[in-house]
Formats: sequence, structure tokens, C-alpha cells
Amino acid sequence: MKKIEIIIKPFKLDDVKAGLLNLGVKGLTVSEVRGFGRQRGHKEVYRAAEYQVDFVSKVKIEVVIESDLVPEAVAIIKEKARTGQIGDGKIFIMPVEEVIRIRTGETGKEAI
Amino acid sequence: MRSISGEFKEAREHLMTLFIQGKGSEAFSEEHAKIVDHYFRRCHQESKIGHLLFKDKALFALLAVGGYGRMELCLKSDIDILILFGKKIPSEAKKLVEEIFYPLWDLGLELGYAIRSVKDCIRLCMDDFEVLTSMTDSRFICGDSPSYLSLMEALQKEVVSKKAVAYGRWLEEQYKIRTEIFGDASHLLEPNLKEGIGGLRDYHHLLWTAKAYCNLRIPGDLEYSGLLSHNEFQGLIHHVGFMRLVRNHLHYLAGRKKDRLGFEVQEEIAQRLGFRDQGDFLAVEQFMGELHTCMTSVKSLNRSFVSTYLPIRSRDRFVQATFVSKDLHIDQGQIRFDSAKAILSNPHLLMDSFEQSSALGCPLSFEARRLVREFLFLVDDRFRKSKKAVQCFLSIINGSNTFKTLEQMYETGFLEAFIPEFARIKERVQFDTYHIYPVGSHSLETVRYLKNLRHQKELHLIDVFSELPRSEPLFLAGLFHDIGKTGKDHARKGEAISRNILQRFGYDKNRSEDVLFLVRHHLLLVETAMRRDLRDEKAVVQCARTVGDIGRLKMLYLLTWADSKATGPRAWNDWIANMVLELFFKILHILDRGELAGSDATQRVNRTMNMVRRSMYQRGGGEDLDAFFEVMPPRYLLNTPPRDIVNHVFLAQDLNKRFREEGTIAYRLESRPNDSDDCFELTFLSKDRPGLFSDMAGVLALHNINILSADICTWKDGTAVDVFKVSRPLDRLHPEETWERVKKDWAKRLEGKLSLGYRLGQKAEASFLSKPRKPTTTPKVILDNRSSDFFTLIEVFADDRVGLLYLITRTLFDLRLNIRTAKISTKGDQAADVFYVEDMEGQKVEDRGQVKEIERALLHQLRQL
Repeated sequence: MKKIEIIIKPFKLDDVKAGLLNLGVKGLTVSEVRGFGRQRGHKEVYRAAEYQVDFVSKVKIEVVIESDLVPEAVAIIKEKARTGQIGDGKIFIMPVEEVIRIRTGETGKEAI
Repeated sequence: MRSISGEFKEAREHLMTLFIQGKGSEAFSEEHAKIVDHYFRRCHQESKIGHLLFKDKALFALLAVGGYGRMELCLKSDIDILILFGKKIPSEAKKLVEEIFYPLWDLGLELGYAIRSVKDCIRLCMDDFEVLTSMTDSRFICGDSPSYLSLMEALQKEVVSKKAVAYGRWLEEQYKIRTEIFGDASHLLEPNLKEGIGGLRDYHHLLWTAKAYCNLRIPGDLEYSGLLSHNEFQGLIHHVGFMRLVRNHLHYLAGRKKDRLGFEVQEEIAQRLGFRDQGDFLAVEQFMGELHTCMTSVKSLNRSFVSTYLPIRSRDRFVQATFVSKDLHIDQGQIRFDSAKAILSNPHLLMDSFEQSSALGCPLSFEARRLVREFLFLVDDRFRKSKKAVQCFLSIINGSNTFKTLEQMYETGFLEAFIPEFARIKERVQFDTYHIYPVGSHSLETVRYLKNLRHQKELHLIDVFSELPRSEPLFLAGLFHDIGKTGKDHARKGEAISRNILQRFGYDKNRSEDVLFLVRHHLLLVETAMRRDLRDEKAVVQCARTVGDIGRLKMLYLLTWADSKATGPRAWNDWIANMVLELFFKILHILDRGELAGSDATQRVNRTMNMVRRSMYQRGGGEDLDAFFEVMPPRYLLNTPPRDIVNHVFLAQDLNKRFREEGTIAYRLESRPNDSDDCFELTFLSKDRPGLFSDMAGVLALHNINILSADICTWKDGTAVDVFKVSRPLDRLHPEETWERVKKDWAKRLEGKLSLGYRLGQKAEASFLSKPRKPTTTPKVILDNRSSDFFTLIEVFADDRVGLLYLITRTLFDLRLNIRTAKISTKGDQAADVFYVEDMEGQKVEDRGQVKEIERALLHQLRQL
């Protein structure tokens, strides 16, 4: 099992979500996040006062899937989230040791 | 006793069954109390211990206290009872409890009891006003009535009259605590039926006040003693009854005592109460609308009642009645009408009273509000259209205490009498967790945020606000923005409705246009920020064109903020604020420069698009035209003649087709003489790649073709479109041969069979004719990061000559810069070029070292010439 963390532009959320659901992903977690990567924030000067617009608003999707689905999932995310511009985002993939469904106590594949 | 409890159980179960069947559910609480009363009376009659006590002259009474005392016994309410002894409490009293109460506990009822003497009661009430409230609600059930009477008398004499002010303060304090903990239930989507402001507790609060200070014994006294008018009292009883009914259903569904009306039960209760969907107006929304109406009315009645009769702040209210205007005066800090007659002879007084309330910061008195309600019929069409009334209304909107005044107008029904369009949204609820207020209150809240802007922490909001030439249209838009709710496209509907209102007002035309614009587009910024890519210049430019000018942008930004804040915590947070702010600044910069989104530019682009559309359809090739418009950059659409755009679209269609069919990277090069300027025009289309433009410039230089001007740009789909104006080829008779040679060299270049650096260098050595002249002016390079939020502008000024453009663009390519758009021009022998570039990441070049390097590299190349 792998956990995929995806940071994308907010307006791409619906596309990526639809893509992942199509793939058979059963659930995912979405959060509104702010941060910066290569796409830096900048300073705005308005009426002599400076406003730091440091962080860029992004959406983070977290989803846990079976390992063999990863390449397909990555392909879909890349296709859906790409604008070709700076700030399209990043995909992180990491191993998951165990998944447990609290209600039933099921573990592993069943619990995803 | 067991048989009595059996009877009781049966009676209670019967009542429950009726309730579930929906029969007589309105009277449930009262009937429920009566059944419990009956049980206690029977117990009292049969009680062995009771008889013993009677013999010992230890007389006692059974009193219902708290909610049970008020006959408000909901399905799962606690039953609170007091065993009151006239004097001492005998030791057998405990046994009485076992006898009477145990059977009820066995039935699973929540029962609270106390055994006290009259003295105990008084002492407790002195220390704890909460006990006092429950005592004042107490009701005699059975037993020794003189004990009860002496208790009530002592309460009044010993406690209430001695501690009148302290009790009043305490009541006020409780109200504040409830506001903090439970909030204003008349606005909330998951209101607390009991403790929320506007809930049942408000009614109790009113009763306690009346009992302590107006000698009220039972609720009916409110009307009989003239404290409330007949209509007010009937309304109150009806509204309280409805809330109690809802609470009973809530208890039933939850299976326990519960007061917070959560989402999960609202739909079910709406059905049980007989609400049905009407089109897209859901049953649950109708139900919650009615509940909010009840709560608003109870809240408002309680507030004004309490502010009239509660003896608090007696000192600072000791102000002489002052005369405010003809027929209005202030007494005890409240606005009052001199007489009801005055209103009849001068209906305008109604509006006047609110204007004074706003100007002086004093609320209308209880009586004054009552008069407003009763004289609402005077607000007719003529009133609504009268200049004087509109003037007053606007001065409330512009003045101070706007929110408080509007709230009073709202609660008394005056607002919807004056603006009947408001009635349709007043209690309109949207059944979701996003909108926490009904639409009407949300509109008022929006105005509140706008009026309180000055106290906000975000400094830029204050800055933006202080720069508005006038704020009136913004405030009006705040009030009207959702007037088209609910249903699809409420902003557009709202615009039409607002237009009617403003016309009736005879409102200034320009300002009307501002209000209507704001209503129509109040979602534009949030929607664009959330749904479009803010790195995409075109998206921002389109938004800027809709907005049109800076004044409107500022108002729209503030409205967006206030509207979202007044919607609920999920509608506005740092994350959204951040994106909207970014969009705001980007639009501001675009409008500031005016190049792409002035009203002039917008018109021109629209005209161009129409002409292109017409001509494409005439020539039968307009199917995918909109897709092409979508990918064309704003500058291209603005500056390219329609005729050329049509040509480019045809070329691009052809290119795409060849790419699809043959898979080759194709290009198109067209030439045509331009006799008026004595030059040639070259149109070059290809899929863009880094260095493409510099290659073309190089190939042209190789053939001694001087570039006089050029417009190059890259469409968003990756099509590079370059238009050159070039000097006539040296071979004036057969120019087409030159173009053929250019094409041949271009093909070689594509195949990697032509080194431009080497060929051009060789050419320069061989030809002494084209030996560099001495530069007459020093070359100049300017990097500009301010003019665009999307690109870095590089401006180059130098002596013109063949190969200049190749050198510049190759240097840019070498520095890994991407040319998105360029404007090349020549005046006399001076070249002035502007390049819109971005780095490989698609970002502006802001690194200082990189900026310096670009300047130095370009200057170095230019000096070589």
C-alpha cells in the first residue's frame, strides 16, 4: 500500500478528484493548504504600505491505494493537474505500513 | 400507590400515542403536565404518610416548579417538584419521597425534587437567583395552600422588592451569557430551541421580568394588564407554542432531552409538521424559515419588553425627556412618539423615528416599536416613492448605527414594508452548513461588516475603503446583493429586482449602475479565484474587463469580503482570502495600466471577435473558433487586425490537421507584398519550441532581409504566430525566389544541417559592404518587472541592422528565457524592441543576479555590432 500526497492548484481539484474516483479510489482527504515552492510569494505595495503575499493557496489531496495502482494514479493526476505553468504542484508517494478500519478492526487491503 | 402509577403510565402512553399520530400535538406539553398533576393529587389523597403528617399538623404542599410549574412539560423534560412545609421539616418527610416519587423513577422519568420550608426557600432565593426564577414559576398542585400563599408573599416582600436592581442585573447578565454560549438562535442554522437567543428562554425571561416588576402571575396577565397588546400576546403564544412543538418532536426523535436542533433531524421534523416541498423551495427550508420567524419575533419582543421594565442602569438613565423633533422625543434613552395620532397625520414620522434612532444611537422604545408595527399599513406606494422617505433611508445607510437601525426596521417589519422585495428573502433558509444565516439576516450582516470596516485588523481593507470616492452604492449593494435568492443565477435575478427598487427610489443613475454592477457580479472575484488559474493572464484580463474600472474593483473587493464573512466561517478563511487578494492586485494592476482592459480595449476586442466570427462563417471554417479564441493571448486579440486573425486561424487549422495526420512538426510561411509601406509581410506559424524565434530571425538575416517590425506571440495551445514586416529582398524582380531559399534554409535548420552562428559569422567576414558602422547611439537595455504580473519585460534600444534581432533573441535563448510575446519596431535607423519573457519555470525573472546577467549579456552583444 502506498499513500499519495498531491499538492495542486485549487481549480484543478474537481478534475483530479474525478480522475481518481474513476480509477476506483474509494475515499480521499482534501485540505486547504498554503505554502511555497518554486512559485514564490511576493510583496505588494498599496498606498505606501507593504503587504507580503508570501504563501500561495493550494489544495492537498491524500489518498491511500494499493501499490499496483500507483503508476496509473500518478498518470491520471499528472494529466488532470497539468497546466504547463509554474505551480502545477507535486506528487509525493510513500509506503504505508498498515491500515486499520476503526469500526470493524479490519486491516490491510480490506480497510482501504 | 402502584395502581395510581399504573393509571399514570397508561395515561401518559396514550398521550404519547396521540402525539406520534400527530393528534393534538400542539397541546401536548400542557396535557402532559396535567397528567403529572393528576398523579400527584391522587398520591396525595392516598398517601399514608401524608395522613400521618396531617395528624401531626406538619402541613405541606406539593408545588410544581420550573418548566413543570409553567405547564411546559415537553416529552423528555425534567419534572421538578417541591415539597413545601409551612414550618419545620419532620423526619418522616423522606418516607414521603419514597412513597410518591419512587414509582416515577421506576417508570424512567427524570424527576428532581426538594423538600424545603418556607424559610429555606427565602434564604436560598436571596443567595441564588436561579432558584428564585424557578420559585416564581412555581404552581400549587395540592396540599396545604396557605403554605404556598405565604411563600409567594414572602418572596415578593423579602426578596424581589429588596433585591430588585440586583435581580435585574442578574437577569441581564444571564441574557449576555446565553448570547455568548448559544448565540442568536433566530439566525443560526442549528439553533438551540431553549437557551438560544430568540428561544423559549427568551419567553421565560420576559415572564420573569413581568412577574418581578409588573405583578404578573400567569402569562395571560400580559394581555389583561395591558403590558402587551392583543396581537402581541397572541403572536407570542403562537410562536412559543410552535417552538415547544418542535422541541417535543426533537425529544421524540432523539429519545432524550435535547435542545439543539441539529441538521440530522430537521428534514424529518419538517415532514412531521406537515411541510412539503414546493418546487425548489424545500420543506425543510420552509420549516426553518418559520422557526426563525418565530424566534426573531420572540427575541425582538423580549428585548424591547425587558429594556422597558427591567430596573437596571437606573442612574445613567436618569435623563430628562428631551425633545428630538416635532412629534418625537427621547425618554430614558429611547425614542418615543409623542402620540399615535401624530403618526396618522404624518406617516413620514415612522421613517423619521428610525433616522433619529440612527443619528442619536438610541433605540426605539417598546411602545414606539409597537406603534410602528401597528401603523405599517401607512407605508404604501406613495410613501415608498416619496423623496423624503428615500432621503431618510439613505441617510440611515450612510450614517452611524446603520446595522442597529436596520435591525430594528427588520424586526418591526418596516424594512419589508418600505422595500417589499425584501419579504421574499427575509427568512429564506438554505439547507446547508455553508450559509449560517437566513438570507435576510445575512444581508444585514453584510452591511454590518461593511459599516465596521474601519475596525478591521486587515489594514489593506481600510486603505481600500478610505479611497472610495463614495461608499453609498457599496452599502446598498450589501443590502441588496442576495435579493434574488434563491435558485439558479440569483445574482442576475437580484440585479433585475434591485433595478426596480432603485428606480422607485428615483436613485441617481450613475450610482444605480454601480449598485447593479455589484449585485450582478458579487461572486465574480471568489469564483474566479477558486475556479481559474491566477497565473493565466487571460483569465485575469477577462475578469478585469468585466469589472471595467478601479473604483468598482475596490467596491467589489470589499463586498466580496463582507459577503463571505457574513456567510459563515467556511466561506472565508486565510486560504480563500489569500487567493482573492492576489486576484484583486492582479486586476488592479491591469486596470491601472489600462492597456488590456480599459473600456476602449474591451470594446475593441469584442468588435474584433465579432468580425472574425462573421468572416470565418462566411468562409465556412468557424466550427472550432471559440476554442481558438480561448487560447489567444489578450494582447494578440487586442492588437491584431481581424483580417490577419482569420488568416492565422486558417493556417493553424491546417497545421493542426497536418500534425494529426502526418505527425510531423510542420510550419507555414507565407509572404505577401505590402505596397503602401514598400515592404513585405511574412506570416510564420509553427509549434513553439525554445529558440524558434531566434532561428527564424537568423535565417532571415542570412538572406540579408532586414526586419522592420514584428509581432510575435505564442498561443496557449503552443502555436507560435509570428508576423514580420521586412524590407524588400535585394532581388526586386523575383522576390518569391528569395522566400523559396528562406524556406529551404529553414528546412535545413530543422534537420540540423545549418549552423546559423557559423554562417552569419562567415557572411560578416566576407562582405565588407555590410561592415558594421560606428554606432551612433549607445545601446540600452531595460528590464521591467513592474508592468506585468505575469511576464518580465525586456526593452532593447539599439542601432538597427541586419542580424540584430537574431543576436538579441539568441542571447535570450542562451539565458533560458522563453519569449511569449514580442513587439519589434524600427524608427529610422533605431530599433526599439519589447520582449515579454518568462523563465523555464514560467515565472518572472526576479532574481537580482539573473537580471544583471541578462542586462550585461545583451549589452555585450549589442556593442559587438
